[in-house]
Amino acid sequence: MRSVKGDGVSHMTPSLAVDVHGLRKNFDSTRALDGLDLAVETGTVAGFLGPNGSGKSTTIRILLGLLRADGGQATLLGGDPWHDAVELHRRIAYVAGDVTLWPSLTGGQAIDILGALRGEHDRERVDSFLARFDLDPTKKARSYSKGNRQKVALVAAFASRAELLFLDEPTNGLDPLMEGVFTECVTEARSEGRSVLLSSHVFAEVEKLCDTVTIIRDGRTVESGTLSELRHLKRSTVTVTLDGDPRELEALEGVHDLVADGERATFTVDSVALPGLLAAIARLGPRELVSTPPSLEELFLRHYGVHVAGEKPESPTAVP
Amino acid sequence: MNTTVGTLVRRSNGNDSARALRNAYSGSGIMARFILHRNWLRMLIWVIVLAGMVVLVIDSQRVAFPTQATRDAYARVANTPAIAALTGLPYAAGTLGGILNIKLWMTVAIALSFAVIFLTARNGRAEEENGRTELLRAGVLGRHAYSLAGGLVFAGFTAVVGVACAAGAISQGLPAEGALLMGASFTGVALVFLGVASVAGQLARTSRGANSLASTVLAISYLVRAVADVNSDGDRANGLTWLSPIGWAQQTRSYGENQWWPLLLCLLVALLLGGVALTLERRRDLGSGLLPDRAGPRGASALLRTQVGLSLRLQRGSLIGWTLGIIVGALFYGTVATAMADLLSADTPIAQAFTGRSKDVLDGLLGYLTMINALLVAAFVLQSADSIRAEESSGRTELQWSSATSRVRWALARLVVPVVASLGLLALSGAALGVTFGAAIGDPGQAGRFVWASLAYWPSALLVIAVVVLCAAAIPRVAATVTWVLYGAAVIVSMFGDLFGLPDWVSQNTPFTAIPRLGMDFTPLPLVVIAALAVAAGGVGLSILSRRDMTGA
Repeated sequence: MRSVKGDGVSHMTPSLAVDVHGLRKNFDSTRALDGLDLAVETGTVAGFLGPNGSGKSTTIRILLGLLRADGGQATLLGGDPWHDAVELHRRIAYVAGDVTLWPSLTGGQAIDILGALRGEHDRERVDSFLARFDLDPTKKARSYSKGNRQKVALVAAFASRAELLFLDEPTNGLDPLMEGVFTECVTEARSEGRSVLLSSHVFAEVEKLCDTVTIIRDGRTVESGTLSELRHLKRSTVTVTLDGDPRELEALEGVHDLVADGERATFTVDSVALPGLLAAIARLGPRELVSTPPSLEELFLRHYGVHVAGEKPESPTAVP
Repeated sequence: MNTTVGTLVRRSNGNDSARALRNAYSGSGIMARFILHRNWLRMLIWVIVLAGMVVLVIDSQRVAFPTQATRDAYARVANTPAIAALTGLPYAAGTLGGILNIKLWMTVAIALSFAVIFLTARNGRAEEENGRTELLRAGVLGRHAYSLAGGLVFAGFTAVVGVACAAGAISQGLPAEGALLMGASFTGVALVFLGVASVAGQLARTSRGANSLASTVLAISYLVRAVADVNSDGDRANGLTWLSPIGWAQQTRSYGENQWWPLLLCLLVALLLGGVALTLERRRDLGSGLLPDRAGPRGASALLRTQVGLSLRLQRGSLIGWTLGIIVGALFYGTVATAMADLLSADTPIAQAFTGRSKDVLDGLLGYLTMINALLVAAFVLQSADSIRAEESSGRTELQWSSATSRVRWALARLVVPVVASLGLLALSGAALGVTFGAAIGDPGQAGRFVWASLAYWPSALLVIAVVVLCAAAIPRVAATVTWVLYGAAVIVSMFGDLFGLPDWVSQNTPFTAIPRLGMDFTPLPLVVIAALAVAAGGVGLSILSRRDMTGA
């Protein structure tokens, strides 16, 4: 056994909790992962975006040692997800997208069993999360709704002392109130120094919670970076027609990629630079102004919308 | 279908209650086709197996009792408490049809009843439990359409089995009226249990609960009839018989007096139960049961937090049920063994089939009964070990395998229950058989040799576990079917191999017949070989399990 828990490794925390390069996985003739890259920095929340069937769950299952990769490299907390699975799992908690429990046991029993499998038993901590998620632990799992089964796994994961949380579409089935509790819990986990990989297709959730975002498509990473890095892609696109010379706007902070055509100009602008820009435009005598605010969703759809139109999207760096 | 419903609805315009009633059943036709589509193979296999058994047993009995003289001789000794208790009153034992009924009627009736009980739960409560019914009922589907369709399809299935069994008997030259009535009596008793299963499906919240409720009613019906028949006057029915649906169907006395009217009772009760089921369905919410769900503990006990404890807890119910069943069966065999041995003359093929290679008929029979106990233990063990596959196919391994336990340790923890329980159950069933047999012959010292003879089957139980592990690891998606088919084949060859005239190298080399029986000279070699096979198969299975991708979910 490689020394995963060895003092040298765990104290000198690797800067990447998850480090994946060129991961490949085939199921019979279907290619599920085709050179996927993914990184989760220690102590951060990483968003993992992609539609159903794009390979998010497959990636997470490979990282959990449930599936074996056909190619590429994956390092997890400094260890190998397949060979060091048992040792690594003490430090990992997982919430599956569709939680199945033992129908004849209660939710409380299931949480304790999942904790015991990791070698933990912290009644107070479990109770506090039960209260926050408003879950009745005395009900048999067979009578739980999907949302309640999800809560069982969430309580077990958050109440654990795991360093790394894998959350696979965890808010599926939760009501908005509980989504709020979930957001708090993830933020707390980060402040405790834990790392989180959050797979989701709720853009608002990812924008709110995640430090970095990885967008995948057909088993391949098409976009990744910190949210602030991606924010430069998140500039609004503005088109103006002015009495004055639109070139003057180019000097303004936050204005990029200005293309002027006589009185007309199109450029992008950081959202923080909007007040200054509007003041400058007002001085230049605006006759027409159109502003299109992009979002993570737009950025995401850029990689998929093209697909719908029938064109193959080109390299991910097509967006400046 | 849609047009029919539309017409019905239009015609009943202005009559709200009639319309509501029709709406409650709308879509039944589509659902019937849907249920047929999902179950036709399962049902076809039942038809072939049951009708095939009728043909095979008639054939074997014709060999066993070739002349009228041998049949008359059999009839003179057939009416014993053992036969009465196990299979019913031997009222026409001097005819081939009567002998067929003694040998096979109860087996077919019970098997068919179990078939409809399982089919009903599988297509009713199980579907509701996993949420598929919700999906269907949200569409244009009446509240009762699914249940009604299931009831009708499975009622049709029992009728087909009845006709097929009758046709099988007629093809073997048995009298047509008796054969038809025999087939109808199978249908009749199964219809009653179709009704019982439908009501159970309304009362219980889970398919498992529905199955055990309906199976309990079946077991009680069997026991009531057994008590009635043991206390009968000659081959005339005791009044108690009329408390059991199995008794009603047997009182048709096919190949004997050929009475059709008791079937009316079956039909009436079946319809009544069907009506009760529909009424209950109208009164309850989707997904709920009428038997209440109790609140459970808010946390896991120290035992439950261990892997073995968890697996023990999950199998608690079935472990208790099987233990009781196996002990009751063994106690029963012990009391009737001497009576049965008296009845078997050593020179018939039947006697030889029972007694195997034993020198003594009684010892041979006791050895045969000990093997039957071992086969029952093996069925429990198979079901118990199969939890490895069931956990994975249900998706529960996703959370368990991603925790700090290796797959091999996880699997071994789940195998502790079948490994230990098989040892305990073999010892218990051997002791139960020995104690009651000892009491019957006035020799209390019998238990010991029965316990040892029974424990000799432990390697066989281990082999069953190992094969389950191997299948669950190597072919997870079809493992359950493959292991049960293998088990079924082992049971048939072990119990009836000689009767069917299979060559010795087949019939004497199953994991159960290879074990030296009670009363035979004991040699450890077969036990060692079977145990070695078990270790090898189990080892390969665990190794595959730890190397492959997780499936399911």
